[in-house]
Amino acid sequence: MKEEPASRLLSRRTLLGKLIQGLGVALMLGAIPRVRAEEVAVSKNETDGLIVRVVRPLDAETPVQEFASYLTPNSRFFVRSHFGPPPTETVSEANWKLRVSGLVERSTEFILEDLRQMETVTVTAVVQCSGNGRAFHRPKVPGVQWDRGAVGNAQWTGVRLRDVLAKAGVQAEARHVQFRGADRPVAASVPLFVRSIPLEKAIHPDTILAYGMNGRPLPLLHGAPLRVIIPGWMAASCIKWLTDITVSQDEAQGFYMQTAYRHPTRPVTPGEVIAAADLKPIDAMIVKSLIARPQDGASIVHGPVMIQGVAWTGEGKIEKVEVSVDEGQTWEPARLIGENHPYGWRQWQYIWQATGSGPRTILCRATDDHGQTQPKTSPWNPSGFLWNGWDRITVTVAA
Amino acid sequence: MSMLREPFRAGLASLKLPTYRQRTTRAVARCGLAGKMCSGFSLPVAALSASIMIAAVSVVPAAQEEDLSAVSVALALRAEALIIARCSVCHSPDLIVQQRLPRERWKATVEKMKRWGAEISNDEADLLMQYLSARYHPAAPDQLPPIDRELGKAEPLTQEPVAIAKGPLTGVAARGAGIFEHNCQACHGAGAVGGMGPRLVNNPVLTHEESFWETVVHGRGAMPAWDAVLSHQDIADIHAWLLTR
Repeated sequence: MKEEPASRLLSRRTLLGKLIQGLGVALMLGAIPRVRAEEVAVSKNETDGLIVRVVRPLDAETPVQEFASYLTPNSRFFVRSHFGPPPTETVSEANWKLRVSGLVERSTEFILEDLRQMETVTVTAVVQCSGNGRAFHRPKVPGVQWDRGAVGNAQWTGVRLRDVLAKAGVQAEARHVQFRGADRPVAASVPLFVRSIPLEKAIHPDTILAYGMNGRPLPLLHGAPLRVIIPGWMAASCIKWLTDITVSQDEAQGFYMQTAYRHPTRPVTPGEVIAAADLKPIDAMIVKSLIARPQDGASIVHGPVMIQGVAWTGEGKIEKVEVSVDEGQTWEPARLIGENHPYGWRQWQYIWQATGSGPRTILCRATDDHGQTQPKTSPWNPSGFLWNGWDRITVTVAA
Repeated sequence: MSMLREPFRAGLASLKLPTYRQRTTRAVARCGLAGKMCSGFSLPVAALSASIMIAAVSVVPAAQEEDLSAVSVALALRAEALIIARCSVCHSPDLIVQQRLPRERWKATVEKMKRWGAEISNDEADLLMQYLSARYHPAAPDQLPPIDRELGKAEPLTQEPVAIAKGPLTGVAARGAGIFEHNCQACHGAGAVGGMGPRLVNNPVLTHEESFWETVVHGRGAMPAWDAVLSHQDIADIHAWLLTR
């Protein structure tokens, strides 16, 4: 940890940093073609197998059959950001720093090694885009038209945010913690992606700053070298490429906190003007489930068919998952299986005796321990957030 | 290149785009305004000869009021060119193509983008709004042809004759500065010293003219193709100006 004013430690680190930078330059000069070739290979691998919604800045979702596995592989994890990743040199270990300032006792800077020296925490958590399922809202709403796969379950490794904040010392009047990443828009007139969370969530022992994902260093597309993970909350607050933490009395100002990522607290109709007082920031996830297999549109034969999928919720736990093959008139309980981590998703399976022939619709819905059950369709809202309607696939049973 | 486009354009001469209209009084009042705006460039109704457009028009449900105020081919092409030139500086056009929005939400979106720095004049913003709400309205089918294929290659915004057949062009550096500022600066930085896109001052690509033209005309990686926006004279002017830097 680097504390201001500069200590002997700081000057040694700076020197070391310069050496590393120098080494980096030397390596690059010697091997530019090779390095470039590898970069191309990596970036291709990182998006292979994803469904690309927007090429630039990259937004891509996971095909749901991938969710048959408990952990979503890094290379198959959905990708979403407003501006795309920052240049690699900005977030390289030699150049990157985390600054903690605002309502703190001492503004403090951390390099990655400082964080690695702190107590390590690993948490398995679902991360989901607030707009996952936006494409199902009617009438349609603006935004990336995510289908079902802007979600994933991964093991995140890093440090508790509260431990980082404790090093800087939080002042008594602090109420919110603001995050900013190293990503930048093309035009300076576009607002930066700055978000904040309430202090009580920031100091929750499960809220972490992650530098590892599924046992590997956090990949660039997922926020390297450091991103916020708030288990149970939507990904909109899980800032990637984190460089600045500002402790404050108020919520972050600016477009991405005060205008975007807000959700009506009451039912609204399309076209209606919604008062600011009736909108609140997106925070916790809500109960949801998906059918991973069989694939939508698959052909199946008579007899037992294994239907499997995943279910998750925000700050509670999954109580049950049910399946319906008669458009929701009757529901049968599915069996919860596999690993059970507080913020991870639950896998489930159901054996269906496929009879008859022709197209059949399979639905699933989950219920959590707060009594939330997935509705048939989610309430319409102007930005298409929090879709959690019954998941639905159609298969064809062969005669 | 423009020769090749001619037959395709002729086929589109009678193009008409459906305009979505909401059935609320307020929306109708707005559309009335838009209608006046359109009347300046309305075209006579004619047979739909372009098969790609038939699908788009025929799926407008009967329940929905059909408001087929025309967007002329020339203006549709100009809107396409604007999307490639102005919108795709920040995001690829696929983000636009997947939207199905009523006019007032397109209007709000275009206005937001203008506020956020999209280099479009008020007239261009109006045109974009007109075009986007005609093509990407809520009743449009899920699958529309990609933006750059539907109408073929759009015309350059500046209408100088393409002299490529008459031999090499002579770039005018003084003109190139302004064209660069308007089209290239957002990514390549003021003075072409680099930004999100690479530094172009003293960039070796300047001396490999074929490679330079290939990149500008057809795009490369994150850089969009500019042949729909810049005339060959424009490109030659930018090249000439970059060489003086």
